[in-house]
Amino acid sequence: MNIYWQELKMSVRTMISWTLGMLLTLLFFMFMFTAVAKDVAIINQIMTKFPPELVRALGLSSLDLSTVLGFYGYVFMFILLVAAVYALKSGISALSEEIRAKTADFLVSKPISRTTIVTAKIMSVVTLVVLQIIIYIGGAFVIIQITANQYFHKPTFLLINLSLFFVELFFVGLGLLLSVIINKIKTVLPIALGIVFGFWILQMLNQSLADHTLAYFTPFAYFDIAKIIETGSYENVYLFSDVVLILVFTVLTYIIYQRKDMPSV
Amino acid sequence: MNVIEINKLTKYYGKSRGIVDVSFNVQEGEIFGFIGPNGAGKSTTIRTLLALIYPTRGSAKIFGKDCIIEGAEIRRHIGYLPSEVFYYDNMKVIDLLKYSASFYPNVNHKRIYELAEIMDLDLKRKIDDLSYGNKKKVGIVQGLLHSPKLIILDEPTGGLDPLMQHKFFELIHEENKKGVTVLFSSHILSEVQKICTRVGIIKKGRMVKVEEISTLEHNNYKKFRIEMREQTSADYFNLPGISNLSVDEKAVNFIFNGDINRIIEKLYERKVINLIVEEPSLEEIFMHYYEKEA
Repeated sequence: MNIYWQELKMSVRTMISWTLGMLLTLLFFMFMFTAVAKDVAIINQIMTKFPPELVRALGLSSLDLSTVLGFYGYVFMFILLVAAVYALKSGISALSEEIRAKTADFLVSKPISRTTIVTAKIMSVVTLVVLQIIIYIGGAFVIIQITANQYFHKPTFLLINLSLFFVELFFVGLGLLLSVIINKIKTVLPIALGIVFGFWILQMLNQSLADHTLAYFTPFAYFDIAKIIETGSYENVYLFSDVVLILVFTVLTYIIYQRKDMPSV
Repeated sequence: MNVIEINKLTKYYGKSRGIVDVSFNVQEGEIFGFIGPNGAGKSTTIRTLLALIYPTRGSAKIFGKDCIIEGAEIRRHIGYLPSEVFYYDNMKVIDLLKYSASFYPNVNHKRIYELAEIMDLDLKRKIDDLSYGNKKKVGIVQGLLHSPKLIILDEPTGGLDPLMQHKFFELIHEENKKGVTVLFSSHILSEVQKICTRVGIIKKGRMVKVEEISTLEHNNYKKFRIEMREQTSADYFNLPGISNLSVDEKAVNFIFNGDINRIIEKLYERKVINLIVEEPSLEEIFMHYYEKEA
């Protein structure tokens, strides 16, 4: 438990700044909502001039921008992007930060098993992700109430936001796995940005080509906001593949970290 | 009873050699010196004992238990001071020490303050602001605060001033008197000579020799450099106990093991301009060992 608390203490500030970043992004877009909602007919007309592949790639084909949830669903893609970078960064850092700061010797020479270390680190990152989502949802609710004076279906709003949890856990898991596979990670953020944008581009391709196999390769495709708004639920296949991948990443992290030589300082 | 039993321990980092077939034992209550030049494999051996790295072949036991399989259990009774200390920069010294203590059951927190007092360590400062020597002190307190039964020191004195080194050695001596076993790695022979009862010498990843320190002291190696007014031939110093002899015109260099009066007698007949007698470096002693074994 001591590692868990120590880890929380060291990373809670970073989590709060990233969450504020997400809320500010939302606030920025939501200020445009009234204007967009009013002129949605014009926007739709402009869209017809664009090639349909591009419109689909931008995720604009299936969302109704004149409704709060439709507009929120569009903005949410960017929020998800920020959250994904945070999650991947946290996942990569959790174990590799000790190596970068050269404190791994201190920790690993303590009377604890490697498994205990991995568990404590995962628990703390997951706790931070959960806290982030709670703060974000609370903040987002307030922002939407203020900026959009319109009724919206609250359970659907919650369901959209809870997809943050599954996408973030995917990136946390991926980050943990990468951090135990790659031997010397010098800087985390550029790697995290690169990987998240890679998956993002894959998602744009997926939306544009409407290719169902491609969708399995990017967590951004697992939670289609338009479908959530339409059906009020997640798609089971994708939810399932998300959970399976998270488990695979986690198990591999335990196995590889267990056998890993700590680099000498 | 053996506290540490190392049996044919081998570690390769990929293809590069760490240690090869290292075997030795450390008995309960002794201070065992582990000496060798940089890159000889001292840290590799120690890091394997702590399960920071895994051996390629061979095994090591501490307190009769396998270091890798029962590592967590064993480490409860080990205090480890690495050669380079790194801690969480934004923590205060006292927070770090308390964090360290939280990993061990039944730590007497008074001990932290006692040790800090002895090592003259300011507990309220941030780790980040500490000098290298002060970080080392944190390392010492951190390694001893849980009253370990086995202390593993990996080149511990670097960065400590002579006064602190002295205090540190006293501290280790005191622990040793209570029955604590110490594995002390160093590349400074005089340091090891001062404190250890036995030494193991490692070179290029292999144990060269394990010897009682008294035997080593009996082998009273001195390094001579003599500059004379006239040129001298190498034969002039052809005495038993002389090795590594080299003559450079009027200057003579050699390592001598034996009664120093023999050399003084020789010099008495000559005009000496300069005479330097030093402790030989560890490498020079090693050369001697290798020559003997070859």
